[in-house]
Parts: sequence; structure tokens; C-alpha cells
Amino acid sequence: MNEHYISIRHLSKKFSKDFVLKDVSAELGKGEILGFLGPSGAGKTTTIKILTGQLRPTSGEAEVLGIPCDRIDERIYEQIGIVTDVSGVYERMSVYDNLKYFARLLNVPLKEIDPLLKRIGLYEHRKKPASKLSKGQTQRLILARAILHRPKVLFLDEPTSGLDPSTALEVHKLLMELKDEGMSIFLTTHNMEEATKLCSHVALLNEGVIVEYGSPEEICLKYNKVKKYRVQLTDGSRHLLEQSSQTAEKIASWMDSGRIETLHSCEPTLETVFLEVTGRELQ
Amino acid sequence: MRMKPVHLRKLAAITEVKGKALFSKNFIIMPIFSLGFTFLMKAVYGAGAEGTSDMSAYALALGVLMNILMEGVYCTAAALAEEKEKNTLRTLMTSSVNGLEFFLGSLSPVVLMSTVVNVLCAFIAGFEMGLSQWISFLAITVACSAISAVIGMIFGIFSKTQVSAGTITTPALIVFMMVPMFSGFSGTLERLSELLFTGIIFHAIANINNSLPSTDIKGILVLAAEFLISVAVFLALYRKNGFER
Repeated sequence: MNEHYISIRHLSKKFSKDFVLKDVSAELGKGEILGFLGPSGAGKTTTIKILTGQLRPTSGEAEVLGIPCDRIDERIYEQIGIVTDVSGVYERMSVYDNLKYFARLLNVPLKEIDPLLKRIGLYEHRKKPASKLSKGQTQRLILARAILHRPKVLFLDEPTSGLDPSTALEVHKLLMELKDEGMSIFLTTHNMEEATKLCSHVALLNEGVIVEYGSPEEICLKYNKVKKYRVQLTDGSRHLLEQSSQTAEKIASWMDSGRIETLHSCEPTLETVFLEVTGRELQ
Repeated sequence: MRMKPVHLRKLAAITEVKGKALFSKNFIIMPIFSLGFTFLMKAVYGAGAEGTSDMSAYALALGVLMNILMEGVYCTAAALAEEKEKNTLRTLMTSSVNGLEFFLGSLSPVVLMSTVVNVLCAFIAGFEMGLSQWISFLAITVACSAISAVIGMIFGIFSKTQVSAGTITTPALIVFMMVPMFSGFSGTLERLSELLFTGIIFHAIANINNSLPSTDIKGILVLAAEFLISVAVFLALYRKNGFER
């Protein structure tokens, strides 16, 4: 059985009179990526803040590495990494000095900084003040700092938000590598493509409630009620066909005559599932 | 604040970074200003009274007051506010640094630099002291620097940005500076001055100049009480808000 690095049971959080999280439960095992997917205000950041000991839940339980979140202290912080939208860097310090500072705090040998800088593509910029970095480079520096001490669990709050597509792809590649190395990652995003690509499991969060939970494939297949196929023929015409014996015959005849240019099944995406379940757009 | 272990490794790292920050253009102006102010006071009050030790003592007292307040209160508050403004404080706190380590690591470079500048002020003012007087001077300036730094931390808790740190510390700096400066003009200010750490150090320098003990039991008790009160207020605010409201 997979060891649970994060365990959330019936977690709720209320600010004033409003619940921002209601009865949320989820688990994250070793070497998995759990995605909390939802629009702004869905409760994703609140969940991360509770899990990292920055907020106390109103009710329910949450544990990180077996420790209840309201008792998280330095020993746990030494085993987790956190990247949020408010993670800051020391702007007057160079890229290298930023990492050196945290290496000293986290008891990481300084010789590990340069390989990490090479890995995240900031080695050429290591002497540059952090204030001179682009947004994408700053985000990579924040990510490097979060993984510097090889944490068991990495919390990422919208890590690619506002990044250009190529930088986002680099971040995705790095996250997959970290996952393969056994790091567990708790990821929040409103990007359904990112969630589908990276996550072992996703929780679709709407107004503080998990409306669907499972692997992206399971969730999409669950809502694949009317199976459809999109066909483009060599004459340029396009056809959207529902699954039936007539459709099968039609496709077979087009195939026989060599008229099919492209053929795709049309499963729902996480975005369409979210829209179907909540009536809301993710973005 | 629950007593937590202080790791020397982390303390050294924070102290080094905070110490370097004091040399940034935002903060280095304060000790330079204090040294310049001492030089100016020496030039103004020493003019035509060459060799008058009273004038040197007065120039030194003003320079030390300026230094302790600007570095201790303003720089500490602004440095904490900067960490909050740039979101590095939260990052530190979630990177295994506990509140006590941050507190000590932030205070120690300020107290050290403040002490060094106070010594330089003594040389600039031309204030001559024997060994016992130096010890007495250092003891009282270190104590007052520590008090002002803790007060700076208290202001820092309430400041969200460096600008707001400047805004809320200014009235306090004026009171701490002006009360001892004008204590000779009013009995009320004189009595009030005896209850302020800035008043204690202001009069201590005059006492050292007159070869008297720098302060008496009452002065020591006032310094101890102000240190304890400022630490208690800091802890109460920290317990309620952490370093961030």
C-alpha cells in the first residue's frame, strides 16, 4: 500500500460567515502529483495554507508526513517545499546568493547549488541580482529554492500562472522528473491541460467543495456518456458522429475507400467536465 | 512565543544576510547621517570652545541618540517591513526558520553596527575616555541599542511596507530624541527624560564626561524595565499576529 504523505479528511474552513472549504477529503501518496483544480476563489490556496500550517482549519483533519497541520513546525518545513503566488526572493541578492542563503538555513551542502542552477536553466544568470530576472526566471528561482533540500512533499500554488508557454513546458518537464524521483507534489491550478498532463489524481474544486475526484482519465471517461467521433475526409468535409452501428458502417466504408484524413474520438476534457458539473468556466 | 531551539547555523545565516542588508543604500545612509551629524555638532558646538570636553560630550550624545534611534528603531522596523513587503518573511518562516531565530538574527547585526558607529561617533566628537569609561560607555550604548532594536521590531510588526515603517516610526523617533535634548528647559521633560532609555544614555555621556558613574541604580532599573517591557510587548504582539498581521 502506498504511504500517504498528505491526508485530508473532511476539512472545512470558514472565514467570517462564509465557508471557503467544505468537507474536503483527499490523499497524496509517494511519487504522485495531486492536483486541486478550480477557478479563482474555489479554495485551492486556502487548502495549501492549511496544509502548510499557515492557516488553521475550522473543522476536519489534515496531515502532512503524518503530522497534523496545526502542529507543523521547522522539522516538517525541512521536509517540504512551498511555491505560492506570494513566494518572494531577495531582490538585492544574486540568484546564487538567494539559494546559498536557503542552503545554509536548510543545511544543504553549497556544492549542490550549481548543479541545481544548471538543471533549472539559471546557471548563466547565477551572478545576476534577482531583481533583474524575468518573471519566468524568478519563478524558476523560487522553484529551485523550494526543491533545494530535496523535500518529500512539494506544494505548488499555480506554478505556471502568467508564464509563457515554453517556460511553462520547462516547469512541467521538471515536475515530471521530480515525480519520477519520488517527490510527492500537491499542485493547484486552473489550467486543465496542465492538470491532465501532470496529475496522478485531481480534485475538481468548486466553491470549496470537491465535485469530482480521481485520475484525469477516470473522470473524463465517467462523463463520456455520448461517445462521439470527429472525422475529416480527404475532400475537406468534417463530420461529428455519435457511436452507433450506422456510424461504424459509415466509418468502415470511408476507410475502405481511403477517404479518411483524420479520425478522433471526442472524450470530454476536465474543463468540459467541470463546466458540466458546476456550470462554471475554469478560467 | 513558545521557546524554540535556536540553531546557530540558521542564526549565522540570518545575521549575515541582515548585516549585509544594513549596507544597502536604503539603510547605510542612517549610520552615515549619524556620523555626519556628530561631526556637524562637534563643528558647531566646538567652534570657539576648542578643547571643551562638555561640547564634545554634547556632540557625542546627540550623535549617539541619532544613531541608536535611526538604526535601532527605524532600520529594524524598515527591514522587517521590507521582508513583509517583498514576501520573503513568509518564505523564511516556511523554510524552517522559527520566530526566535529571525528575531535574534535581525537584532544582532543592528546592535553590532550601532555599537561600532557609536564608537566612531566618540572619536569624531573627540570625546576622550579611559578604559573604565569606555566599558561604561559600551555597556550602556549596547543596552540602549538593544532596547531600540526591540522597539523597532514592534513597529515592524505594524508596518506592511517600508514607507509605512517610516511613517509610523517618525513620531516615536521625534519623542525619543527631543525629550532628552530639551530636558534642560523643563522640569517635566527632565523627569520624563529620566524614564526614557534615550534620556539615560544622553545623561550617561554627560556623567562619563564629568568622571561620574554613567548612571545610577535608578537608570539601570529603567533600562532593564524598558528592555523587559519592550520584549514583553513584542512577544504579546508576536503571539497575536506573528511577524505579519
